[in-house]
Amino acid sequence: MSESDNLEELGREAIARVADAAKSSELDAIDTQYLGRKGALTLQLRKIGSLVPEQRKGFGQAVNDLKEEIQAAIRARREAIAGGETDARLAGEALDVTMPGRFYQIGRPHILAQTLSRIKDIFIRLGYDIVESPEVESYHYNFEALNYPLDHPAIDEQMSFYVTEDRLLRTHTTAYQHRQMEKRKPPIMVCTMGKCYRVEAVDATHGHTFHQVDCFCVDHGITMADLKGTLYQFAVEMFGPDTNVRFRPDFFPFVEPGAEVAVTCSICAGKGCNVCKGSGWLELAGAGMIHPNVLEGAGIDSEEYTGFAFGFGIERMPMVQHGIDDLRLFLDNDLRFLRQL
Amino acid sequence: MKLPIGWLRELIDFDCPPQVLADKLTMAGLEVEEIAQVADEIVFDVKVTPNRGDWLSVLGVARETAPPVGKAVRWPEPAVEGAKPSTSEHISIDIEDPELCGRYVGVVVRGVKIEHSPDWMQTRLIAAGMRPINNIVDITNYVMLELGQPLHAFDLHLLHDGRIIVRKARAGEKITSLDGSARELTQDMLVIADGDRPVAIAGIMGGLDSEISANTRDILIESANFAGTSIRRTSKRLGLVTESSYRFERGVDPSITLIAALRAAELLRDLAGGEVAEGVVDARPAPVEPWRIKTRPQRANAILGIDLTPEVMLRHLNGLQIKTTLEDGVLVSIVPTFRPDITAEIDIIEEIGRASGYENLPLTLPQSHKQGADSPEGLFKDKVRGILMSCGGQEVLTHSLVDSDMTELAGRGDLMIRLHNPLTEDIDSMRAMLTPNLLGVIERNQAYGCSDICIFELGKIYFRTPEGGYDEKLMIAGAVAGNMWRSAWSRPVEALESDFFLCKGVVESLLDALGITDVEFVSAADPVLHPTRSANVLVGGVRIGIIGEASPAFAEAFDLKGRAQVYELDFGALMRYAPEVLKYKALPKYPALHRHIAVVVSDDVKYERLESIITESGKGFIESVELLDVYKGEQIGPRKASLTISMVFRSHEKTLTDEEVNSVLDRVKKILADDLNASIR
Ligand SMILES: [Zn+2]
Repeated sequence: MSESDNLEELGREAIARVADAAKSSELDAIDTQYLGRKGALTLQLRKIGSLVPEQRKGFGQAVNDLKEEIQAAIRARREAIAGGETDARLAGEALDVTMPGRFYQIGRPHILAQTLSRIKDIFIRLGYDIVESPEVESYHYNFEALNYPLDHPAIDEQMSFYVTEDRLLRTHTTAYQHRQMEKRKPPIMVCTMGKCYRVEAVDATHGHTFHQVDCFCVDHGITMADLKGTLYQFAVEMFGPDTNVRFRPDFFPFVEPGAEVAVTCSICAGKGCNVCKGSGWLELAGAGMIHPNVLEGAGIDSEEYTGFAFGFGIERMPMVQHGIDDLRLFLDNDLRFLRQL
Repeated sequence: MKLPIGWLRELIDFDCPPQVLADKLTMAGLEVEEIAQVADEIVFDVKVTPNRGDWLSVLGVARETAPPVGKAVRWPEPAVEGAKPSTSEHISIDIEDPELCGRYVGVVVRGVKIEHSPDWMQTRLIAAGMRPINNIVDITNYVMLELGQPLHAFDLHLLHDGRIIVRKARAGEKITSLDGSARELTQDMLVIADGDRPVAIAGIMGGLDSEISANTRDILIESANFAGTSIRRTSKRLGLVTESSYRFERGVDPSITLIAALRAAELLRDLAGGEVAEGVVDARPAPVEPWRIKTRPQRANAILGIDLTPEVMLRHLNGLQIKTTLEDGVLVSIVPTFRPDITAEIDIIEEIGRASGYENLPLTLPQSHKQGADSPEGLFKDKVRGILMSCGGQEVLTHSLVDSDMTELAGRGDLMIRLHNPLTEDIDSMRAMLTPNLLGVIERNQAYGCSDICIFELGKIYFRTPEGGYDEKLMIAGAVAGNMWRSAWSRPVEALESDFFLCKGVVESLLDALGITDVEFVSAADPVLHPTRSANVLVGGVRIGIIGEASPAFAEAFDLKGRAQVYELDFGALMRYAPEVLKYKALPKYPALHRHIAVVVSDDVKYERLESIITESGKGFIESVELLDVYKGEQIGPRKASLTISMVFRSHEKTLTDEEVNSVLDRVKKILADDLNASIR
């Protein structure tokens, strides 16, 4: 048997034992037995002096190669054994991942606040400044300054809660318009939103309290087509790209010409359904060109400047969008309702 | 208003199906809200805007139908040949107040036979929503519905002295109206009187004393034009709204007065067997003539944003019976008396827009390239909302109209705003505080079966100012009850239960995230809060709100299950104290060392004092102090508390050694012992 045959035999034996090892301590023993200072492979190397010079180099190389091979096998086996031990430990830590998560209840914005915030973003993009506005108003700003004739039935359409003879809870956000016109100079583009109040018995579709948004714009050369374009732009951003707007004449004392604005029913895409009573349209807003009397009353030259205004209620939007069937849910604050939206 | 289509066809021809006509009218501004089938008749329910009293008749709707269907209106031309003696021999008419009554036409019809009106008339009245009574009353109602002119029929022989006087009521005068109520009249109410007494409240309702009865033979028909504002005031004062007052308030055409009287006379002759007296008495102290309005075509185009020629505008206006000519490039319109709503150029422009169709307006945007901005309040609201939501708060929105009793109970009744005309007793005022509303939300949710609640509201309170004015301001309020967990299985329930300190943690987190410093919590007394579990929240020594457990009185008023914690802070104050920009402080360069101590002190020593002594006496070395545990009990004796406190030691200049830290800690312990009589463990 040649020296190299011997070496091969040794190698096979060592690799086989490494493969059989079940614990890292066994590997330690194999390491010492073959590669240690008195290990089998080290002893082989000592034989090198007994070889003829031309065999020495090749033999030395073969021993070193085998040494590296065994070391690599031990390392690989060591990792495999360690992995198995970790697996056993991790298996003992198993969780039932189907049990519920443990966390505190997170909060959400109120659904009306969500709607108002979307509307606000659109009008800011369209160039409007958002302003705050009082809810306890004077009769003057709520009606008189808005061209409501004295003792005219137009006022009956907005039955008011009175605080004193000449002070009331605003019946529409439009009440802030004159205040803003007095304060600012054209170009004016402002928007306000908030609570309004009317004497109305409460049921699923009516309430004494509701939320409105009101916008107006005064500048050189403002036209009714600008009003229509603005509401179209709003409707598309609010309700989607396939939305259309319909204008038809209507009456509000503070605008002339006045219009009622409807948008494509988003439930049936204009085909007609229960929500839109088959018409394919949903009423959105009251709108029109600001009456010259209103502009003049605020000291704005109605020959030089023109303007438009529009206002609308908020509640209807989430009602249609989310299929909410009772207006009272909004201010009742049943958490089972609020936590759904 | 209900409008039978067959009746409309008597005044105008049209071929289109009712639905198409309804759409046309709706797009012209006369909204057809409903199309109903009543017996053999199709009936439109139209919504008449308050400016268009002229639409409150079949004739008015026929006029609006004319332009879209391209046909002319057939005006009724009543033909009556009267017999002697003439009306003026029976009755004289005097108008004392021409401003309130511009025209009064009277016509006498003799020998009528009171019976039911014919079926066709009854059917029509019913379709139009009126109840048939007898032929005389039905005829007056029929003419009113047809021509828009309210009429009244008097029993001629019940009018004293053969006189009609249109005047204001005299002091102390009374009348029993047709509905049987005795009514006291005031001196600004317009009445129709005979030689002795009022026999009708002008334009609103007749009197019982001169009513048509089964014995009536001869009657006087009144067709008059009364001023809307006066009728409205009287109607409101008396709480009496009639078909007649409804029309006068919205304006009745002063040119239809005579035609309506004759139309009634004609029907009384044909349907009640009456003989019409020769002539009428037409008292007309303030005749109304059509008026002229000039309109610049370029102005119309500039308002509407379209480009119509003057000729097209002219055609539209004439189609609406506003006779218009073009003079020197200006439209000159003669406005018919049935359109009192048209008084200025802008009204003519609306008519041009209406007739050319709003659907034909182009879509453009204002040329301004201005950037819009949110209000400072809006921006701050978003910030606060975000922080409170991240603290687990669900936003709520509650009513501003509340029960004044709750506000009184909350000790905030002094400057509360009350409603003059509340809808019901329990919503008779404006809220002066948000907290009671939030407790109401907790109450309702507990009733719905949800007891773990963490809510907040950003909303206004309303109040009178001491100077007699009115004001409103935004508040931030929150409430916590039960626990804040969505799910916390296997965790001890008691440890999760919310308490004062959880609520305080929310407020502290809010203030901290807003960058507000120099905050103090000082024990407070407030009717809504528990007397020994409540605090004022101070920033820089100024009170900006309250926090605490709901007082037992409130918990009982709201029937709360368990305790509830609340806070309410002044939004405006927080906005002022919150820095616009938060500044970054460099992170520490040197490592920290940690120490714990247990301090036993008398249980009336405030933690705040303890903490400030530690911070002060370890200044330059102690970076932060944290309370870990509080123990009260037998092991430390009565009226004592043991507080476990953790401290972080760190210097900005160097790495501290154990020896340095221990020496500072010794100093701290000594000062605690000296100042608070504390024993340290
Ligand atoms: Zn629909």
